[in-house]
Amino acid sequence: MVDQGNAGGVQALITRIRRAMGSGISFALFGLSGLLLAFVVFPVLRLLPGSQALRERRCQAVVQRFFRGFLRFTEAIGVLRMQVVGAESLQEPGQLVVANHPTLLDAVFLMSLMPQADCVVKRATLSNPFLRGVVRDTGYLSNDRGGELVAACVERLREGRSLLVFPEGTRSPAGGLGSFRRGAAHVALESGKPLRTVVITCTPPALGRGQKWYDMPDERLEIHIDCRETFDPAPLARGAASRGVAARRVTAALRDFYAKKQQNPSL
Amino acid sequence: MTSRDQIFQVLTDVLQKEFGFEPDSFRLETHLVDDLDLDSIDAIDLAVRLEERTGVSFRDEELKAIRTLGDVVDLIDGRG
Repeated sequence: MVDQGNAGGVQALITRIRRAMGSGISFALFGLSGLLLAFVVFPVLRLLPGSQALRERRCQAVVQRFFRGFLRFTEAIGVLRMQVVGAESLQEPGQLVVANHPTLLDAVFLMSLMPQADCVVKRATLSNPFLRGVVRDTGYLSNDRGGELVAACVERLREGRSLLVFPEGTRSPAGGLGSFRRGAAHVALESGKPLRTVVITCTPPALGRGQKWYDMPDERLEIHIDCRETFDPAPLARGAASRGVAARRVTAALRDFYAKKQQNPSL
Repeated sequence: MTSRDQIFQVLTDVLQKEFGFEPDSFRLETHLVDDLDLDSIDAIDLAVRLEERTGVSFRDEELKAIRTLGDVVDLIDGRG
């Protein structure tokens, strides 16, 4: 006979294994589909005619559908549940979207919600053999170009394309916010576009900086994404002596906005 | 006043005006990235302002090698 405590322990262990398996299956599926995209789907798309902008759009549409399908799968097997407030605001073209970065999947969440998104990706992404081709075919921008990157982002916005930027440049530290790079502020100021602020929370925390994908909590991940607010940098920049000062003010205020949201999500 | 002091004066003046730093935040060993949190866009703006003020123009590889305020002074002093 098994006593009560042991039965609870076995139950917990089974739940844990199921979670880890769900997460394992999800990531295996993601990796395999990624390979299929990089080595089969994208090479075929490269053969199709059209301007570069059209080709990039086509590839981005494929990525969006792939991410959406992947997230539906993870929801179906109980790995996570996404709740999005104000999703329709991400559908509008020509937006400068910024977000905090608590989990490994934030870009996947947001790109699944955007019919078109030019992402600013880490330079390291370009040295990944699976992602290099995808980044090139989709027209995503690498963050190693400094001043040129700002000009390229402004140009994309003028063409009516939307941008997705994580101002922290990498995943947020556990439960908090990293320091914000000023590139997004420069792009907003130079393009005259407000920032579309997306606030992402993951409860319980998982897939964060330093956490492994298989190190999943016992409960389903509740992903909450709030896209309702915009942040207008223009009033903050007024009277600034230079663009360096303006970008510093805007970035500090943007980070404050996120810090307040984290302390009190109902704001 | 030596020429190096003058160069340092110009440099700190540009840093205050361009990025809003307090006057007492500078020493020769102050690191542009680690201490002042300058980014690549700031580096471009700083180089442009210094060129305007000193008449010395910088090559890309020279800019990339700069780490501290002292490096900037050395670079301009070496060209003066």
